[in-house]
Amino acid sequence: MKKFDYHIPKSLEEALSLFKSLENAKYIAGGTDVLVNIKRKKESPSHLISLRNIDSLKVVEKKDGLKIGSCLIHQELLKIEEIRTYYSALYDALTKLGSKQIRNVATIGGNICNAAPSADTACPLLVLDAQVVIFGEKGTRMVPIDDFFEGPGTVAKEESEIVTSFELPSFPKYTGSAYIKHTRREAMDLAMVSAASRITFAAEDQSLLRDFLSSKGVEELDKELKNYPLFVKEARIALGVVAPRPFRAKKAESCLEGKFLNEETLREACEKAAEEAQPRDTIRGEAWYRREMVKVLTKRTILLSVKRAIEMCS
Amino acid sequence: MPISTQIDKIDAYDKVLGKAKYASDFYMEGMLVGALLRSTRPHAHIKRIDVSKAYSLEGVVRIIQAKDIPGENSFGIIRKDQPLLCDKKVRFIGDPILIVLAVTEKVAKEALRLIEVEYEDIEPILTPSDSERSPILIHESGNLLTHKKVIKGNVEKGFSESDIIVENTYITTWLDHAYIETESGFGYMDGNGRIVIYSSTQNVHYKRKEISRILALPEEKIRVVQATTGGGFGGKLDMTIEGYVALSVYLTGKPILIRYSREESFLVSTKRHPLYIHYTTGAKKNGTLCAVKVSIIGDTGPYASYGETVCLRAAIHATGPYEVENVYVDSKMFYTNNPISGAMRGFGVPQIAFAHETQMDILAESLNLDPLYIRMKNGLKRGSKTATSQILEESVGYLETLERIKPFWLERKKGKDRGFGLGSMFYGMGNTGITNPSWAELKLSSDGKVVLYTGVCDIGQGSDTVLAQIVCETLGIDVSKIEIVRADTDYTKDAGSTSASRQTYISGKAAYEAALKLRSFLEREGFYSGKKLKDIFEKYKDMGMPVFDGFFDPPTTKLDPETSSGKPYATYAFATHMTEVAVDSSTGYVKVLKVHAAHDVGKAINIQNVKGQIYGGIAMGIGFALMEEFVPGKTKSFNTYYIPTSLDMPEVDVFIVESEEPTGPFGAKGVGEPALIPSAASIANAIYDATGVRIFELPCDMEKLKLLLERKRERG
Repeated sequence: MKKFDYHIPKSLEEALSLFKSLENAKYIAGGTDVLVNIKRKKESPSHLISLRNIDSLKVVEKKDGLKIGSCLIHQELLKIEEIRTYYSALYDALTKLGSKQIRNVATIGGNICNAAPSADTACPLLVLDAQVVIFGEKGTRMVPIDDFFEGPGTVAKEESEIVTSFELPSFPKYTGSAYIKHTRREAMDLAMVSAASRITFAAEDQSLLRDFLSSKGVEELDKELKNYPLFVKEARIALGVVAPRPFRAKKAESCLEGKFLNEETLREACEKAAEEAQPRDTIRGEAWYRREMVKVLTKRTILLSVKRAIEMCS
Repeated sequence: MPISTQIDKIDAYDKVLGKAKYASDFYMEGMLVGALLRSTRPHAHIKRIDVSKAYSLEGVVRIIQAKDIPGENSFGIIRKDQPLLCDKKVRFIGDPILIVLAVTEKVAKEALRLIEVEYEDIEPILTPSDSERSPILIHESGNLLTHKKVIKGNVEKGFSESDIIVENTYITTWLDHAYIETESGFGYMDGNGRIVIYSSTQNVHYKRKEISRILALPEEKIRVVQATTGGGFGGKLDMTIEGYVALSVYLTGKPILIRYSREESFLVSTKRHPLYIHYTTGAKKNGTLCAVKVSIIGDTGPYASYGETVCLRAAIHATGPYEVENVYVDSKMFYTNNPISGAMRGFGVPQIAFAHETQMDILAESLNLDPLYIRMKNGLKRGSKTATSQILEESVGYLETLERIKPFWLERKKGKDRGFGLGSMFYGMGNTGITNPSWAELKLSSDGKVVLYTGVCDIGQGSDTVLAQIVCETLGIDVSKIEIVRADTDYTKDAGSTSASRQTYISGKAAYEAALKLRSFLEREGFYSGKKLKDIFEKYKDMGMPVFDGFFDPPTTKLDPETSSGKPYATYAFATHMTEVAVDSSTGYVKVLKVHAAHDVGKAINIQNVKGQIYGGIAMGIGFALMEEFVPGKTKSFNTYYIPTSLDMPEVDVFIVESEEPTGPFGAKGVGEPALIPSAASIANAIYDATGVRIFELPCDMEKLKLLLERKRERG
């Protein structure tokens, strides 16, 4: 491994000025991607600037939604009760990312900035309408996460800029979200395909949702949908690994948004999602299979989101 | 009672405390580190090698080529067809060409990039069928490594008497051993000019023989010691780093360390043989097997390694644990320019078990018989005649393994997308139809302990503990009273390899024999009437402490060259697994939920070790059945080679059957390979039970099963 100097700034300003003054510098958080890349000679920075000792990158703010600092490790995020309750898709991803050892060092900011098509937290943040907060020379700016991913490994930020946090809006309680990571084994694997969904129902449907729950219909949700004309106020569907970047399947979303949820609209959404996907054949999986799985996972995440939305109304 | 009771593995504490010394932990002042330049071509003549740029790199000390080898530039467990360093021709991607010795591993690896090799490509042969037909020869002797037959009765007559004939083709692929410790070795020259090697190995005496040939030195000038070894599964039976370390020590006089990275290990370690099995079974309406005809074609890669063993062992075990009157097995191994196939837990039997167990289930279904019943009806028992016409006289616990599973089989309740499958096996203990002896020695030490000198390599399977238990049980002493000197060619006699599930049975018996001699000595000396071991030692120390040795070579016979008739093994282990799976029919994902595993081990010397082997075998079987696949040229590391994790493990209930083997120590046989063999077969049968889809090719990964499920749905 190539030698580098390691810097430990205590503030964002210090980090930024180090980056500006040093030749061939790179920020590092958990290091689970950066160090691997250096070892594999994919990059060879002369200076690594650690972001781990900057307290402002570890904030958790719980008013009008949730703000989470970029340097929080996944294992810490798992402990935030609000994520588990209101942002289930993100919680799902946190439980499945890497291994416990990785979750104990890797940060959410790193996962997003590395911008791998398989990044576990990417699809959840996409369906949760996250805003990326970025600090740079010109101050702080916000970018919707959908505009932040540009391609494999590339994001909409200057190299000197630092992602400081993610802001998640607060959703009405008749909202549910879910993330499913499809892998060959139960742990320690990258996603072969992944999908996240969020469904927000209309406020006036709350009593209907309560009826649905008490009918026990949730156990066979897809079959029961026809008995409960639920209106989808907002739908989000995001897919991972089946395109150069994690992306929102917006055509699929529009099959549901502003419509009643039933077998037909659900099927249309899944098929549209599969059409929007551009999977490739790789050693990790074949394209035809990945496309098929987009349908399966889209359906499963939507149904799981619906189930969670219903349960929130109990 | 030291045997059959819960006892901690005696090597466990050193390992968890980090005290155990693996080969890579060795260091000596002035040590050089070696790295190997490997072929980037599957098949090519070497036209030119230019090392001048590499020599100019600071820190490079020596570059060793084929021409520097003082003795024979070849090795191989059976056939010496593998060059230590290639000089004229390379036969697979990864074939070694030269060794760079440098002051650090980093410099050595950097130097590799500065070496230029000019190749003249030869068309590579990538399948056994191309190998059979092609005029291009991988070795001058031809592309067929070996051809074996097992013949009993008249197979055509058997088919003519059959009411039903089932015929299918089964395919398996390359698997990696995936041991936790990659190949590693350290060596130096001692004060007397002898070469000492510490390596991660399954056999020290064989390694010494090969080094002696390569260096043209008498064996007395070489000492091979087993360093603590992190797994083997057959992959450390062939020479790995030993020859390179020894040659480097010989040429430089310096201490040398050579170790493989995980990527290098994946590239060059031997793999499980891919087998193409065409299997035809004939049976009566009542389920009685009349005839079995099998054709096995194997890909042995560019060098023989254990290809001959796998070819013959797969053929001998082709019927499975069933008595069949008429058998004809034709088994061939071809050279190719793929990775080297070699020994891997079961020597071809896990592959053939997948075939014979699927055949049994298909037969049962076609005849409307219960899968357990048809196994019971045909199962080997005392007095049965195997495919090699061996009469089984003792220790045939197969039917009992079925009996132990039976209550759970009969009570099984199938949920949606769930299924149950059976898998059975038999497995011959020790090498096939050849002598494979072992020696052990016992002495008393000055501090009043018994010292066992054994050549057995404990690679994690627990032979140290088991041998200690056998000796202590025989002597009536506590396990704390024994010390072990293990696998060191200077101090221990040849115990043969840690392979073929043979060490508990064969070396255990040798240790037992030695212990019997020591016991009668101790009786005479009054140990059992209260005299202390220390005092007995004191009495003899001046006149020389006697050594008590034990020897055992299982009674086998040479096999008939045409029919393979004879007694290839003195005894067999038997097992049955019942596996429950859940199948996600939308994705093709299979989760193994529960395994009931019944194993006839003769006698469980150490119950925890027996269970450990079975758990590990099941884990490996899940990999074989569902996810493991080495793709030559593509699989580089664990990044794309999937092995099951602890979360993929099912709940396992072990049932130990003890049909004692009279020639074994306390009746013991072995379990190392049997633990794995029925696992994949039972999973494949369970998938059928859950989905109605038959699996003929492993691994049955998600894509493959999804495709099969879709096809079935289309057919309606």
